[in-house]
Amino acid sequence: MSTINFAAREINCKIVYYGPGMSGKTTNLKQVFSKVPGHLRGEMVSLATEDERTLFFDFLPLDLGSVQGFKTRFHLYTVPGQVFYNASRKLILRGVDGIVFVADSAPNRLRANAESMRNLRENLAEHGIDVREVPIVLQVNKRDLPDALPTTMIRAVIDPRGELQMFEAMSDKGVGVFETLKTVSRLVLERLSKNK
Amino acid sequence: MIEPSLALYGDAYARVDGHIQELLDTTGVRYGLLVDRKGFVLSHKEALWAPRPPALDSVATLVASNAAATAALANMLGERTFSEQIHQGENGTLYVESVGDSALLTLIFDVSVPLGKVKVYAKKTVAQLSAILEELKDIPPVQFTEDFSHGASALLDDLLG
Repeated sequence: MSTINFAAREINCKIVYYGPGMSGKTTNLKQVFSKVPGHLRGEMVSLATEDERTLFFDFLPLDLGSVQGFKTRFHLYTVPGQVFYNASRKLILRGVDGIVFVADSAPNRLRANAESMRNLRENLAEHGIDVREVPIVLQVNKRDLPDALPTTMIRAVIDPRGELQMFEAMSDKGVGVFETLKTVSRLVLERLSKNK
Repeated sequence: MIEPSLALYGDAYARVDGHIQELLDTTGVRYGLLVDRKGFVLSHKEALWAPRPPALDSVATLVASNAAATAALANMLGERTFSEQIHQGENGTLYVESVGDSALLTLIFDVSVPLGKVKVYAKKTVAQLSAILEELKDIPPVQFTEDFSHGASALLDDLLG
């Protein structure tokens, strides 16, 4: 935990990993936590059940350093993916600046992907946020499954217009994790400099 | 409207700091934090005699999510929000009070400090802090340039490879 410099100015951005249950949101955060050097990240907080299913959220602060005198940091969150935890999922979206949607490649989770995306849109709307306004990046995870669906099929269901940037990933092996995070961070920062 | 929360330090926050420090001095509270509703630490002070605080980012995040969860509960019960929360353990107390609509004053203290006293003084501090936060609303937002974006991207490359 870095000390807070009161003379300095600080920018904080909130990135939320969204997606259906068991799609790999927490695994993404764990990978980031394990690979980023200790002085650039804070402690990871996980509110999970005994079998390690996320109950409320996971949280990981990341320090980027100073840009033009502004200390820049990202707070990464995951939501609980299970359908019946929507009340807490909605809370975590509050004040979100960027979203990573983690989709599952398993054939029997295709419908869950679609439902989760619809749920995301509904929850954003309840916060008064237009989906087009917030940077969203797609991560199609678990590409190493033997029966993984083609990405085009998954995309057709969650992003039929093909508007979002997409990354293939195997989050448990760390593949695609950083590319996704980097892209969403960049989109958030770009939005910032456009003075939106 | 979604936008990155931007905490402007400087004069306003020096005053926030001053009020929190004063509260710590008069009540004997260990740690005092001003946390925004998104879970970011806006300001923090700790008593000189107190041991090292736990990770403040984590404290702030948990306090903010807790407040969000209880606010949802409050709505279900027909309240707008619960403005005050007290969590009491065997050895210490966590006291959280809303400062306006966007921030939370979080105080952590041990059993030797009477809760009643903290409440009385905290109310006073909350009034002072919300006046300062109110002023901050009128400050024009900071303008970022392309350079900022480039600088930040370079740092991202360093961090994430």
